[in-house]
Amino acid sequence: MADAETCVEVHDVHKSFKRGNEVLDVLNGLNLVVKQGEFVALMGPSGSGKTTLLNLIAGLDKPSQGSIQVQGVEISQMSEGQLAAWRTRSIGFVFQFYHLLPVLTAFRNVELPLLLLPLSGAQRRQQVRTAMEIVGLQDRMWHRPGQLSGGQQQRVGIARAIVTDPSLIVADEPTGDLDAKSANEILNLLTELKKTLNKTIVMVTHDPRAAERADRIVHLEKGQLAAQPAESWSN
Amino acid sequence: MKFLVLIFENIRRNLIRTVLTSLGTMMLVLVVTLVFTVLTTLDYVATEKSSNIKAIVTEKWQNPSMMPYSYAPGLCAGGVDENDTTAVHPQGSMTWGFFVGSTESVPAKRSFENLFFSFIMEPEKARSMLDNIDSLTDEQVQPLTDAVNKMKTIRNGVIMGEGRMKKMNKRIGDRIKVYGRNFRDVDLELEIVGTFPKAAESYTDSSIIGREYFESALDAYKATHNNKAHSQADKSLALVWLRVPDKVSFDKLTEQILTAPTFSNPAVKCETSSTAISSFLDAYKDIIWSVRWFLAPACMIVLSLVISNAISISVRERRIEFAVLKVLGFMPWQILTLVLGEALVVGTLSGLLSATLTYFILNGVWGGLPFQVAFFPKFAVPIQCLWWGAAMGAITASVGSCVPAWFARSVRVSDVFSKVA
Repeated sequence: MADAETCVEVHDVHKSFKRGNEVLDVLNGLNLVVKQGEFVALMGPSGSGKTTLLNLIAGLDKPSQGSIQVQGVEISQMSEGQLAAWRTRSIGFVFQFYHLLPVLTAFRNVELPLLLLPLSGAQRRQQVRTAMEIVGLQDRMWHRPGQLSGGQQQRVGIARAIVTDPSLIVADEPTGDLDAKSANEILNLLTELKKTLNKTIVMVTHDPRAAERADRIVHLEKGQLAAQPAESWSN
Repeated sequence: MKFLVLIFENIRRNLIRTVLTSLGTMMLVLVVTLVFTVLTTLDYVATEKSSNIKAIVTEKWQNPSMMPYSYAPGLCAGGVDENDTTAVHPQGSMTWGFFVGSTESVPAKRSFENLFFSFIMEPEKARSMLDNIDSLTDEQVQPLTDAVNKMKTIRNGVIMGEGRMKKMNKRIGDRIKVYGRNFRDVDLELEIVGTFPKAAESYTDSSIIGREYFESALDAYKATHNNKAHSQADKSLALVWLRVPDKVSFDKLTEQILTAPTFSNPAVKCETSSTAISSFLDAYKDIIWSVRWFLAPACMIVLSLVISNAISISVRERRIEFAVLKVLGFMPWQILTLVLGEALVVGTLSGLLSATLTYFILNGVWGGLPFQVAFFPKFAVPIQCLWWGAAMGAITASVGSCVPAWFARSVRVSDVFSKVA
C-alpha cells in the first residue's frame, strides 16, 4: 500500500505484446515502489523490460495486468484522454535522442506542454524562462535545435520536462547519445533537480557510471526485478 | 491561437515542398476559376429577367436568321394592329444585320488580322440598346456619341473597336476597303469615324456600319449587275431587338408579332434574350455540362490528391514528433487539428491568392477572359471568385488532408518508442 512518501507503486504488473502470431511476455508480475524524492536507475540487459516499465510508469502504455499508482493516482485504468491530461501535469519525460521539434526554437519547444494548460501568454513565458534558467540555457532561448550541441539539446529536453513542475521525471537513457563531459553535466543537472526541487526521478540506463548517481539501482531480468542491492538513499 | 505558431512553423519546415504544393493549388484553382467565370456569365445571361425585357425577333425555321429588311418597320412598331386598342408598343427598338469581310482582296492572304466583322444597324440606337453601353454614363460614352454624330454626315462611316483597329494597323480618320464574304461581291469603301467607349471592352473587335449606307451598297450592286438584286439582298436583317417593360408586355408583343400576317414568309419567332441565348447555347450544352460537372470536379479531385500527397509525406516524416507531442499530453484530436490546420492554411491562402491574381490580372490587363464563346468575346472574372478560390482551397485541403491527419492522430507512442526485440 502506498504511504505518504510513496511516489510510484507498481503492483503485480504484467505486460505482453503481440508480434504477429507470437505473444511476448515482457513484464511478469513486477513489483516496484519508488519513494518521493528518490532517484532510481533501472538497469538490465536488452529486452529485460526497462523501457516498457518506464513507459507504463509514465502512462504511455497500459499494463496487461496489475496496477500502477503515481502520487496516489491509479493510472492503469485511465482512458487515453485522461492519461494525456494527467501526463501534462504530472510527468516530465526526457528522451535519449532529445526529440525536440526542429522547426521550433528552444523557447517554443519548452513552451509546448504549457500550451495545453489554461495559462496566459505571460505566465507561459515566465515558466519557460524559469525552466531555462534552471538548466542554464537562458542565453540560448531563441536558438533552434540545429544550432545547439547535443548536451544543450538534452538540457532543453530537461527544461521541457520540468516546465510544468511535475513531481515525477522519467528519463530513458538521457546520456546515451552524449559524450562523457555532456553526460556528466546532464547527470549533475538531474541530481540537482532531485536535491533542490525534490523531484522523483526514474531513469533507464545502460551506463554504470550514470547509474551510480542514483540513490538506488534496480536490475531487471526477463521482466522481473533481479536481486536488489541494499538501499543507498542519500540525502 | 496558441497553436497557430506551431502550424506556421511546420508550414515553414520544408519551404520547397510547401511552395510547390501552393503552386499546384494555385494552378488548379486558376483553372476552376476560369471555368466558373465562363459558366457564371452564361448562366446569368440565360436567366429569365422579370422587367426591362429585351425581346429578340428572328427567323423561325432557319439559323442563322436571315429576314428581309422590309420586315424592319413593322417589327420595330411591335407588329401592332391599328385596331387593337390594347396593343403594346416597344419602348425601344434596333435592327441587326451582320457584314463579314476582309480588307485583303486575295482570299489566300486573308487572316484574322485583316478580318472585318460589323453590325449593320442604326448607329443612333447603339447608345440605348447595346448591352454594356446602355449602362454607361454620358461621359464614358462620349467617343461613341461623337462617332455617331459624324456618321450623320459621313454615310460610309464605320465605328471600329480599338482592338480591331490595332490589328489592322489603322486609326480614326483612315479609309479602308472591305471585300464582303457573307455578302459576296459587295465591297464597301469605309471611313473610320470613331470607336467604342473604353469601358465597353466586349466590343473591341467589333464595328458598326449604318443600315442606310449598307442598303445603298446593295442598291449599287443591283445597278451594276443588270438590275439583278444581290442573292442575299432580302436576307440582310438578322434580328430585331424590342424593349418592353415586363413579362406581360412581352407576352402581348409576342402575340402581336406572331399573329401579324406581314411576318409569315419567312415566319418569325419572338423570344427573350435569355431564351434566345439559351437556344443558341443549346448546341454547346454537352460541352458546358462536361465542363461544369466533369472538368471542374476533376480539377478539385486532383487538387485534393496533390495536397493529400504532400501532407502524407510530411506526416510520415514526423511520426516521432507526433509521438512526442502525445507524450507531452497532446490529445489525438489536437494532433489531427494541427495537421488539418496546416493543410487548411496552405490551401486557403493559395486559393485566395490565385483567385485574387486571376481577378486583377485578367480584368485589369485584358478586360476579362479572352475566350470567344458564340457572341461573347470576353468574360469578366466576377468578384465572387475571391471567395470561390479561398473556399476551393480550403475544402480540397480539408478533404485531401483527412486521411493523413487521421494517421497522424493514430500514432501509438508505445510502438514508436518501444525497444522490444
